[in-house]
Amino acid sequence: MTAATLRKRSRLSAYAPALVGLGTIVGFFLVMELLVQTGMVNRFIVPPPSEILGSFGRVIVEEHVFSRFVLTLTECLTAGVMLTVFGVAGGVLMHRFKLLQQACETWVAAMASAPIVLCYPLFLVIFGRSAWTIIMMGFVAALPPVILKTIEGISGTRKVLVNVGRSFNLTGSQQFWKILFPAALPTIFVGIRLGLIFALINIVGVEFLINFGGLGQLINDLAERYDLAGTYAAICFVILVSILFFMTLEKIERWLRPVD
Amino acid sequence: MSPPPSPGNAILTADHINVRFETAEGPVVAVDDVSFDVRQGEFLSVIGPSGCGKSTLFNVIGGLLSSHQGVVSVGGETINGPHKSIGMVFQEESTFPWRTVTDNVAFPLELIGMARAKRIERAQHFIGMVGLNGFENRYPGELSGGMRQRVSLARTLASEPKILLMDEPFAALDEQTRLLLGDKVLQIQQQLKQTTLLITHNITEAVQMSDRILVMTYRPGKVKRIVDIDLPRPRTSEIVGSEAFGRYVAQIWADLREEASRGMRDEESHALHTHGAAS
Amino acid sequence: MAETGRLTRVPAPAPVIGPVTLLRIAIILAVLAIWEFLSHSGWLYRDVVPSLLAIGRAMVELLTHGEYYFNLGVTAAEVGMALLIGGVAGVAAGILLGANRFLSKAFESYLYYLGPTPKIIFFPIMIMYFGVGPESKVALGTLSCFFPVALSVAAGMRGIDKVLIRVGHSFRANAWQMVVKIYLPAMRHPIINGVRLGLGVALIGCLLAETKLSNKGIGFLIINAYSTFDMPRMYAMLIVLFVLSIVANAVVGRLGGLHTIKRQ
Repeated sequence: MTAATLRKRSRLSAYAPALVGLGTIVGFFLVMELLVQTGMVNRFIVPPPSEILGSFGRVIVEEHVFSRFVLTLTECLTAGVMLTVFGVAGGVLMHRFKLLQQACETWVAAMASAPIVLCYPLFLVIFGRSAWTIIMMGFVAALPPVILKTIEGISGTRKVLVNVGRSFNLTGSQQFWKILFPAALPTIFVGIRLGLIFALINIVGVEFLINFGGLGQLINDLAERYDLAGTYAAICFVILVSILFFMTLEKIERWLRPVD
Repeated sequence: MSPPPSPGNAILTADHINVRFETAEGPVVAVDDVSFDVRQGEFLSVIGPSGCGKSTLFNVIGGLLSSHQGVVSVGGETINGPHKSIGMVFQEESTFPWRTVTDNVAFPLELIGMARAKRIERAQHFIGMVGLNGFENRYPGELSGGMRQRVSLARTLASEPKILLMDEPFAALDEQTRLLLGDKVLQIQQQLKQTTLLITHNITEAVQMSDRILVMTYRPGKVKRIVDIDLPRPRTSEIVGSEAFGRYVAQIWADLREEASRGMRDEESHALHTHGAAS
Repeated sequence: MAETGRLTRVPAPAPVIGPVTLLRIAIILAVLAIWEFLSHSGWLYRDVVPSLLAIGRAMVELLTHGEYYFNLGVTAAEVGMALLIGGVAGVAAGILLGANRFLSKAFESYLYYLGPTPKIIFFPIMIMYFGVGPESKVALGTLSCFFPVALSVAAGMRGIDKVLIRVGHSFRANAWQMVVKIYLPAMRHPIINGVRLGLGVALIGCLLAETKLSNKGIGFLIINAYSTFDMPRMYAMLIVLFVLSIVANAVVGRLGGLHTIKRQ
């Protein structure tokens, strides 16, 4: 076996898993198509995949998917800016005032795992059925990870770097802005990414629940109209959007941290 | 050219073992036409420089590597997978951190479905044999490296294998611990008349413990020589100081040095080659 | 006994209530005070910030009536069921993906990118399959918690010390023995963490589904309080819910911690 054959073979085997994965999914849809068309699966519960695909076009045009997408995105970005500003500031404050950190860090950690989104009826009362309910919900739910990661990033700065700063007699504020903060940025970005993910999940979820807003509301609308194929199409669409969103976030993070 | 396997009470036979690996740079022969036998009750060491394929051989005999040519047979039966007559002791830390010493040692007995009370009794026997009495309810995390290897040894012994197969079990330990553990293993081997096959790179260890030593060449690994060690038994670590011991060590070192140098030159030219190609 | 002198300074006895505790108490009191002030100030729409007394009364009312415990039981059962089905399926899928590199490369990225998608959007489908009862909530909870458990276990499998697997093979353990005696114990930490995450998302999934369409469960009670504008009751329920979820999390976390005490 020549080295060239070996290389060609290994390249093929590199693609094989991806093909199998994709193939399984396509196969699954084909099987579903068959099952529904032959009546083995009730088409009023599961529309045939071909019909779902067909309604994509209709949904995109008639339901103004693009403007909904922009709306959801705007909500996300607003929440994102808020959680970056307040989250990082909160983390910095807690690092600066050690006592505050000792007192509150476990509370913040507890909040990170608590079902904050359940407070949406509360936010509905405060902000009404508006975009602000959605944005605030995304903001509040996403805040804890940003704060925690910021604290982690700043306190995790390698001791030697701190000592370099001291050896140059930097003031507290210089020390922070020139050494601690830049060193913490990678971890802070991880926190912001986590926060954005939490925000998106909660935003789309609340849009669905309160039947207001962009993409989340679309699904709710179509479901209430018993437009089955449309509902499935809309769900697929939201999945696609969120996957793209996360992939983009990952790419950005990798671009900002080329080291690892 | 390997010497023909000798007749007699051979309990394990390795017949023309060949192992080839496909790498990015082409096929590499790890083990080249190795044949030997292991006799009942003997202590056989396989020694060679790094890269001579001895760990590969260990995996082949243990049945963990099946992509080889040639036949390994135990008591007439061909091996294709881990055989119940062969017990393996690995080089790395292999105790289960979530089990106590007793539960670790009783592991093979648990697998065959032995009742709990009986398991514990048997495990106790082997724990005592490796000198860990009193540590039955400790966890490996609480023990030293040497003690953990003793637990691994006891665990393998508990399965009462006809052949004990060990791959550099003391490699991670310091010299003194190694010598004393070597004593312990010898003691056990002599007490149980356990057939043992030890893979090692340590000449002192090999000469101290073995009846015969199989010296391997650098890759592709062949049998260079089989040396009979004619030192009196029972042996302890004190024998390390004797003259006969020194002669054996010198003889084997002469063989090994040749192979080790060849190995080093090979690695250097390989590194040069790959870096040279890159630049 | 005479003391000739001390080389080291004896540390001052620790204060009974440390500064951290004091700060915590101060923060809590401050929050409560501001709350009460806002409540009586009339700045916000009535009852958006009910007085602490009203909330307290609502909480007593809540906890002394069987109705709450019935609904709590319903939700707990839904979450438990979801965690059981989704957890077992997740562990099984994780073991398969972790053990086999080919399967992992073929399918794991789908799980990875589907994981963070909000599962509540699948709820209309669940209702269609399972009806409006607790089953659809369990289905949603199961879907939610499957992903974090599977991903956690898959990563855990790859992190198992390879030599332990070889030990199992060398003793000729069969597949079942390998899973039960080696894979699962070796992965106890990733499994516990995955279950913790799974518990969190299953809880959220079930509760949100209940708020959307249900006639039982805590989520239903919350949205009911909203629709009748019984704010003190809603606050009371949210507080109890948060306390319960934090306790549940701590308990699961402690289970994982207990193992670390014995481990290396």
